[in-house]
Amino acid sequence: MKISKKIVLLGHFGVGKSSLIRRFVENTFSENYKVTIGVHIFKKNVEIPEKDTDVSLVIWDLEGNDDINNTRLSYLIGTNAFIYVYDVTRPATYENLQAEIDFLKEKQKNTPIKVVGNKNDLVTKAFLKENNDNFGRLTDLYVSAKTGNQVDFLFSKLAESLL
Amino acid sequence: MLEEYKQKYTKPVIQYSVLEPNGLVLESDNGLFENFEKKNISDIHPFFETIIPILGESIEKETIFSCVHLNIESKEIISDIILQTFKNNKKPLLVIQDLTTHYNNYQTTAQVRNESVINSQILELKNTYLKEKEAFKNTFIANFSHELRDPLTGILTFSNILSKTKLDPKQKDYIQILNSTSSFLKKMIDDILDISKIESGKLDLSIEPFNFKKLLDEIKFNYTIKAKQKGLEFNYNYDHKLPEVIGGDAKRLRQVITNLLDNAIKFTHNGSVTFNVSLNQIRAQKASIHFEIIDTGIGIKEENFEDIFTSFNQVNKNESYKGTGLGLAIVKYLVELTNSKIKVVSNYGKGSTFSTNINFISNPSLKVTKEIDATKVVFNPSKKYNILLVEDSEIIQLSVLKILATRGQFFLDIVSKPEEVLTRMVDYDNEVDLVLMDIKLKEHRGDEIARQIRKLPEPHQRKVPIIAMTAKVFKEDLKLYKKAGINEVLKKPFDENQLLEIIAKHLE
Ligand SMILES: Nc1nc2c(ncn2[C@@H]2O[C@H](COP(=O)(O)OP(=O)(O)O)[C@@H](O)[C@H]2O)c(=O)[nH]1
Ligand SMILES: [Mg+2]
Repeated sequence: MKISKKIVLLGHFGVGKSSLIRRFVENTFSENYKVTIGVHIFKKNVEIPEKDTDVSLVIWDLEGNDDINNTRLSYLIGTNAFIYVYDVTRPATYENLQAEIDFLKEKQKNTPIKVVGNKNDLVTKAFLKENNDNFGRLTDLYVSAKTGNQVDFLFSKLAESLL
Repeated sequence: MLEEYKQKYTKPVIQYSVLEPNGLVLESDNGLFENFEKKNISDIHPFFETIIPILGESIEKETIFSCVHLNIESKEIISDIILQTFKNNKKPLLVIQDLTTHYNNYQTTAQVRNESVINSQILELKNTYLKEKEAFKNTFIANFSHELRDPLTGILTFSNILSKTKLDPKQKDYIQILNSTSSFLKKMIDDILDISKIESGKLDLSIEPFNFKKLLDEIKFNYTIKAKQKGLEFNYNYDHKLPEVIGGDAKRLRQVITNLLDNAIKFTHNGSVTFNVSLNQIRAQKASIHFEIIDTGIGIKEENFEDIFTSFNQVNKNESYKGTGLGLAIVKYLVELTNSKIKVVSNYGKGSTFSTNINFISNPSLKVTKEIDATKVVFNPSKKYNILLVEDSEIIQLSVLKILATRGQFFLDIVSKPEEVLTRMVDYDNEVDLVLMDIKLKEHRGDEIARQIRKLPEPHQRKVPIIAMTAKVFKEDLKLYKKAGINEVLKKPFDENQLLEIIAKHLE
């Protein structure tokens, strides 16, 4: 049977979780904001040429929350990796970054977490540098669903690391 | 009948399926979706991949997944999914409940709520950005204006000194122009600095008893001349019931009145400017005083009543009306600082009236502390004084030197380093009577040097009067100077009289 991995996207509402998935799965983007409620599940095959294989990613797009404690815990069952998304332009979405990551670590021990700052098309490199002590030190990758910057890289590197 | 209707109109909202522990669908009632049977549930929708490991757990357990979007064979629903497992290898039960209508309502509410939260966050962010920009602007203006003050002090002092030398009539005229244009420049810089203080909330009133009548008399004297120079009549009506001495901020009151009078004269080309002051009432040691400035000038359109009080907003863009346009904004702010309001009524083309009621402290025991007549500063003629000037700007060194030289009563020493100051201070043969201390020296701070003076061993040395000379006179700065043991602050730019006055005050 083909290898399949469950990836869950988390973070405040409006940070671009659904947009990142849409960019990755369909390679499209929309400026319109449709609030996600509950969960949408997508599936996409990723080829890993280095390992001469492919993985099917089952991606869970969760309803955004301003407090991770309100996440429906059953959604997290069987997760192989988390992608925690925040919006580099809105402080409210990264103010409690450390606490939110700690929550996940506690709920799902040993599950890898990738922290990504989305909407990097809206800020300068200098801005990201200035905030290195702020959100920077916790961030694995800056991405943009709008331009597609680093989105494929994010998912395929993650898939590869899960093998 | 009922059964028939029920058959026809009931929309199934639930589907039950029995599964094998590996996910194979054994039975399904096709309540929502057809063709579940004989398939592996994980091939029907990727959601079900998650439940496969749970199916194998042979324990009595209910797992609920709420609000899951399912899209199966082009039918889309939002559902709650319940998985029931049992002990003793009883086959697990899967329940899918269609709650699409319910969740769609929830979606609408969440949409509105989230959008408004995000919008308010973005707005807040914009405001912080604007505030930062505003603060930057104010500091920039404040610093920049400070830098202008040293050179301006030089210009004012020397044109003043020059005017006292032997000059032919033409040269006298030139000096006159030099004097009035640099005074005008000083006034503008002061206004800009005031506005930047106002906008950063750093301007406060300092309440002290002062001679109100004398202040008004001086204003009357000056503005009678100013009005006459423009061919205008100046009327002044003083209410004799007014107390002579009141408690308030004399400097800021003068600023309010003169700004209003300057404004009146500026926009009046013929006719008169009238200044009325009257007492409303005295109650509970508070005097409410009415001020009114009436002109017969060009007037203001009603739609502009608000605008004239806004910073940098000159309603009349006509080039012949010079100035920063800050005067009225300052008036409005100062008046509001006393919890009052400035009122304007105007007849466009005929003239305007500005009026306000301001409360002052009034009680018979109020005494004016000490007033030195700026025009007649006198020193004990039989004495000579040693003044130590700590300053590294050559313009200021020269200015002070020239001003003191006119009196022939002072010996001036000029130094700029802390070591030199202390060496000079402990010269017993030639003791320093007063120190004039610049605060922002190139490599040192005057308040630090003052601290060191205050630690000298000899009492009369460490008690020498120290006067700071600086343009930095914000509240925090003044506190700092006081803590360092500085007696008084002379604000840059200063003129001859201000310098002599402050020296006289501390040499007694
Ligand atoms: N400029 C920009 N806007 C984005 C980006 N990603 C998402 N957005 C916008 O942000 C809003 C919220 O996106 P969405 O994906 O619904 O956020 P979610 O609530 O985290 O799923 C939408 O209006 C998107 O168009 C991005 O990378 N750059
Ligand atoms: Mg979403």
